[in-house]
Amino acid sequence: MSDFLKGTYTVDKEIVDETAKATIAKDEFKKKALNSIGGSMVFVEREKYVWDGDEEGK
Amino acid sequence: MAKILFINPVVREEDVPRHIPYGIALLAAIARDDGHQVQVYDANAWRKGFDVVRQVLAADQWDVVAIGGLTTTYNFIKEVCRLAGEHAKDSLLIAGGGFLTSMPREIMSWIPEIDLGVIGEAFVTFPDVLKKIDKGDLDWSKTLGVVHRNDKGNIIVNTERPNINNLDTIPWPAWEFFPLEDIYFKNSSSLFSEEAYYAKRRIDINGSYGCNLICKYCWHLGTTGDMVVRPDPAGNNDVAFTYGRNIRYHSPDYIIEMVKQLKAEFNIDYVNFLDENLMTMDVYSKRTWLKELCEKWIEAGLQPDCRRLGVPFDEVENNGVFWSGTSHASLHRPETLKMMYQAGCTHLVYGLESFDKKILKNLGKGSTPDRNETSVAVCMASGIIPIPNIIIGFPEESFGSVRATIKSLLKLGIHAKPHFATAYPGSEWYYRYKDSIAAQYDGNLEKYVLDLGDATKITATISHKFSCMDLLGLQEIVAQRDLRLLDIAEKHWGQSDETIVATATPQISHNIIQDKTKTPLQK
Ligand code: B12
Repeated sequence: MSDFLKGTYTVDKEIVDETAKATIAKDEFKKKALNSIGGSMVFVEREKYVWDGDEEGK
Repeated sequence: MAKILFINPVVREEDVPRHIPYGIALLAAIARDDGHQVQVYDANAWRKGFDVVRQVLAADQWDVVAIGGLTTTYNFIKEVCRLAGEHAKDSLLIAGGGFLTSMPREIMSWIPEIDLGVIGEAFVTFPDVLKKIDKGDLDWSKTLGVVHRNDKGNIIVNTERPNINNLDTIPWPAWEFFPLEDIYFKNSSSLFSEEAYYAKRRIDINGSYGCNLICKYCWHLGTTGDMVVRPDPAGNNDVAFTYGRNIRYHSPDYIIEMVKQLKAEFNIDYVNFLDENLMTMDVYSKRTWLKELCEKWIEAGLQPDCRRLGVPFDEVENNGVFWSGTSHASLHRPETLKMMYQAGCTHLVYGLESFDKKILKNLGKGSTPDRNETSVAVCMASGIIPIPNIIIGFPEESFGSVRATIKSLLKLGIHAKPHFATAYPGSEWYYRYKDSIAAQYDGNLEKYVLDLGDATKITATISHKFSCMDLLGLQEIVAQRDLRLLDIAEKHWGQSDETIVATATPQISHNIIQDKTKTPLQK
């Protein structure tokens, strides 16, 4: 039983939202930050930061 | 009886969910009334990601998984269909709505998991399909209004299904299958008018279907008489969109009874009419429909108190129901607007689009720069707030047309960041510029469809003269209403007309029929 499904009968299987709270908070922050980009407001994606210290052309 | 799971895809993710999917809510009500077992997962309302979708798909032995929405939900729908192929293998996957109807052949080839597509109006086709499923009959070769695959896997578009004649025969939407209290009512407020801002329990209603105008960017979902099925150049049946219309409206009594019920059951305080255009409907009904609707709204006691007493909205406690909708600069009349205001109308959206004569003429909107300009004052005078929409990047856009628009915006005191002219599938623009659009996406139209969202974002340009770069700049210049910047830009670019390679050039398309051929209407 869960609220996610609504209809003419009750579905037995429970549906649980296991999305980690941390991800939700992170996503929400990213969304808000991206919406306010401009001037000194910038956003850097941590996941994209893959530079491993190698110098260019090496 | 069939066990059906409806999934409402996520739309406009950057905003909170605000709109119950009216089409799905109606189809769910029809299926419920026919005795089927129905469940709805409103993914747009819950926004819980694909793990929950996976669980929902596996939560029961669904006979049918049904999904549909407008074109911009394509991304989400594609992923749900893939998941349905894994987690609801034995269910029949049925799709419908704008994303499919606008391009059924492409969608069936891009999403192989879809078993059956319902094209155009589904009020008869969908329950018909369910009846056949109950009988174990999965031969779709004779079913009107569907796209399916034959034994060889070829995509077959069947003849169009006639539109229903009497709209009042359809039940009210199955509101009870959607999270009204948990989600939708919480997002009732909008910034279009004070009354709308303070709305606490808003709901959408669709009172009519169709619009007589032939705006090149617009589309009527293949549900309003605007669609027929014809062979494409290779001889395969395909959809073709036309200037024909089966304009239909619910009787004012149907609407009023529905609002009264919504007031009694959910204590709603605001109704947003989804209708394509209330004013074209008013004209079509020879000015009777809106009049009757307003009179009956008042008679039924739905008129907000402030309008009855003629006082500002925050001076009294308002027990009635405010409402809003869409209007048209050439078709509205002061007396109609006055009546609408009296009955509780707070704001009306006006697609003014441009203030350039040539652009407006080519657009097929039936308005002129003068009418656009006066419409704002005419609407304001009634007490209703006009919400003008502006577009840039029309095929004929030029420095002159942008200048005309900025000048009018300054004159009328309008601040607007224009939408980009976007050729959504189904529209005449889309079919006329299909090859130019594909060329902007490495020849891959699916990439374009995946990229579509709000027209506040630039996707493919259909402007002959301006590229994406120019339009991004022009959008900002219009938003700032800065004629100085426009003059400088014109000095720099304006001379290069001869050397410019057009970003987009129009083509002939079998998907557009520029006459009044229309979908048959049920006898
Ligand atoms: C409400 C609405 C919205 C809501 C979303 C509603 C929702 N949950 O789907 C919001 C406000 C979010 C919205 C946004 C946009 N919208 Co809008 N919107 C509408 C509107 C006004 C009403 C839709 C409606 O409920 N119609 C009435 C119901 C009964 O029709 P229906 O849902 O299509 O259902 C019928 C059939 O299509 C079919 N059907 C539908 N779903 C399913 C599912 C299954 C399984 C089956 C079998 C059948 C089926 O059966 C139903 C009965 O016949 C229409 C215009 C109109 N008046 O129709 C535009 C319209 C749908 N929107 C449109 C557009 C272009 C947009 C925007 C792109 C606008 C913009 N420029 O930014 C944005 C999208 C933004 C984004 N980022 O995604 C276009 C669609 C273009 C297209 N190719 O799909 C329309 C047609 C407007 C137009 N005339 O051009 N929109």
